[in-house]
Amino acid sequence: MASKTNRAVMEPEVEKNGTSSNELHLNLYKMLVKCRMCDEKARILFRQGKYKGNFYSGVGQEATSVGTAFSLKKDDWIAPSHRDWTSNVIKGAPLKFCFAQLFAKTTSPDRGRSSPAHMGYPELHVITPASSIAGQLNIGTGVALGIKKLRRNDVVVSYFGDGATSFGGFHEALNFAGVHKLPIIYVCQNNLWAESVPLRLQTALTNLSDRAKAYGFPGVSLDGNNVLEVYDAAQKAIARARGGQGPTLLECKTYRWYGHSEIDPAKYRVKEEVDAWKKKDPVATFEKQLIEKKLLTDAKKKQIADEITQEINEAVEFAEQSPYPDASELADHIWAQ
Amino acid sequence: MARTINMLEAINEALSQEMERDERVFILGEDIGLSGGVFKVTDGLLDKFGEARVLDTPLAEGIIIAAAIGSSMMGLRPVPEIQFADFITPAVEQIVQQASKLRYRSAGGYSCPVTIRVCCGAGGGSGLYHSQENATWFVHEPGLKVVMPSTAYDAKGMLLAAIRDPDPVIFFEHKSLYRQAKNEVPEGDYTVPIGPAVVRREGRDLTILTYGFMTQKSLDAAEQMARKGVEAEVVEIRTLAPIDKSTILDSVRKTSKALIVHEDKKTMGYGAELAAILSEEAFDDLDGPIMRVTGPDVPAIPFSPNLDKAWQVNTEKIVAGIEKLAAY
Repeated sequence: MASKTNRAVMEPEVEKNGTSSNELHLNLYKMLVKCRMCDEKARILFRQGKYKGNFYSGVGQEATSVGTAFSLKKDDWIAPSHRDWTSNVIKGAPLKFCFAQLFAKTTSPDRGRSSPAHMGYPELHVITPASSIAGQLNIGTGVALGIKKLRRNDVVVSYFGDGATSFGGFHEALNFAGVHKLPIIYVCQNNLWAESVPLRLQTALTNLSDRAKAYGFPGVSLDGNNVLEVYDAAQKAIARARGGQGPTLLECKTYRWYGHSEIDPAKYRVKEEVDAWKKKDPVATFEKQLIEKKLLTDAKKKQIADEITQEINEAVEFAEQSPYPDASELADHIWAQ
Repeated sequence: MARTINMLEAINEALSQEMERDERVFILGEDIGLSGGVFKVTDGLLDKFGEARVLDTPLAEGIIIAAAIGSSMMGLRPVPEIQFADFITPAVEQIVQQASKLRYRSAGGYSCPVTIRVCCGAGGGSGLYHSQENATWFVHEPGLKVVMPSTAYDAKGMLLAAIRDPDPVIFFEHKSLYRQAKNEVPEGDYTVPIGPAVVRREGRDLTILTYGFMTQKSLDAAEQMARKGVEAEVVEIRTLAPIDKSTILDSVRKTSKALIVHEDKKTMGYGAELAAILSEEAFDDLDGPIMRVTGPDVPAIPFSPNLDKAWQVNTEKIVAGIEKLAAY
């Protein structure tokens, strides 16, 4: 939507990011836990039949989303893919609307039109996604062009998986962004599987960050389950983008614990592989580090979890109480009038 | 002040004037800047407005349209060009899955005010891949406005209306009309509304429903048949979507017969939709079958001159159609 100011004001994000490294780490942890708990709750609700359709869980990949989006300002954009329902949470969307989205109620930002996990949030500049793979990657590149033309210093963070890097549109978008040094950070959440297609059948590459060379900008491969590593790399990429130096491709190597979706038992993966990755749980490993540094105690950990549980329960209740859209609104919002 | 200019000049003027009037407007596409466009439609604009407003893009229709959609979400008014309708296919993902559905899937939270200019249609013996007229693909997608003017006057006015429209508009420019369509066009600012069809010739014996390059051919055919005492009314459908049922139904109710003429192929062409509408809504007013004179169900216009001629709808074919329907 139109932005009336020509110069974005850099809002001091003191509250969220913390002034000290310790505060930041604790806040990152809280957000990781929040994403984990929201995602697991969404899975449970689906399995209980509380909503229909499907859900694309990102459990196991939280550090890739939190590390890259945590420090974004309100006017920065997120171009999500189907597994990024929790990106709305990270961007600041109230949980009640996130759960209303799953239930497709009128209180969802799109009044129940878009599929459960395909959530956008206009006021916070999360683009409402199409299911087309690499779709938002392309639209987000267009938004970045607009940002540059308007001489704003906002950035776009665009999420996609390993499969999307095979898509023609990926090539077109990154090539264009490279030519015009657009303020966009391309985050590839490489979880080694594009639904049931393993990486070796997807690409001849091992490191998807190598693709960036073809587009004339930096590509970095990261341990996607290390939230601090992701955060640091993202900060550099965001600064590059804001400074007009152009895009960065961040390949976050990670793993989804569950199937491609809740109806996918993921039998194509072996138990040993899943178990090995679960040992590298981005939330548990970071939690362990914070406990070792005495930044987190068992009591504090429980307090955080309890607070989030309460927030989630209230949100679910709000979503359950909200009405479904009436059939009479079927043809609304096709045109401006 | 009005003077006679052709459609190409009218479109160039619309772009130039709108870019002056509204700093949010910019154009992008292949060969539109340094070269001024392969038909010279955007000639002079790069010199006048610079690279920031006139963007030569990489050879990739998908991102041309996606860049336009995304930047329009930031409040800009991009006017991307697809050089030939035959090459719109790589952009269909963005047009159909993104542009037409963005407002709907976000319940109005997002929208994309883009105007996609597309050069289409037969002309100059250009062969299979420089002659296609595929506007109806997009008529089938609610959320897209689809227009195809046939006069220089309408081209300027409708393009200005399209750029100012808050919804995505696909603006088809028929290549044979770039220079052939010459009218009095006002120098200043004006718009021709997107939506209303126009009665180009009044008549009482039958209604020809047509659009694009076929408009003038239909008028020529009507003149020929007038000498034989058959008066055909010619309704030009300038906006293919959303369709102006009111003007169309008024005319057919008056004449009781409908002949649909379009350049594009027959099956699932625009005529199929018009015929269904007339059958549903004007059945009691019809004194004869709804007939169509259209391009053949042949994949595309082949290169060799005799085949090219055989493919195309010409005045003779329309005259034959009028004769047949008038005699019913």
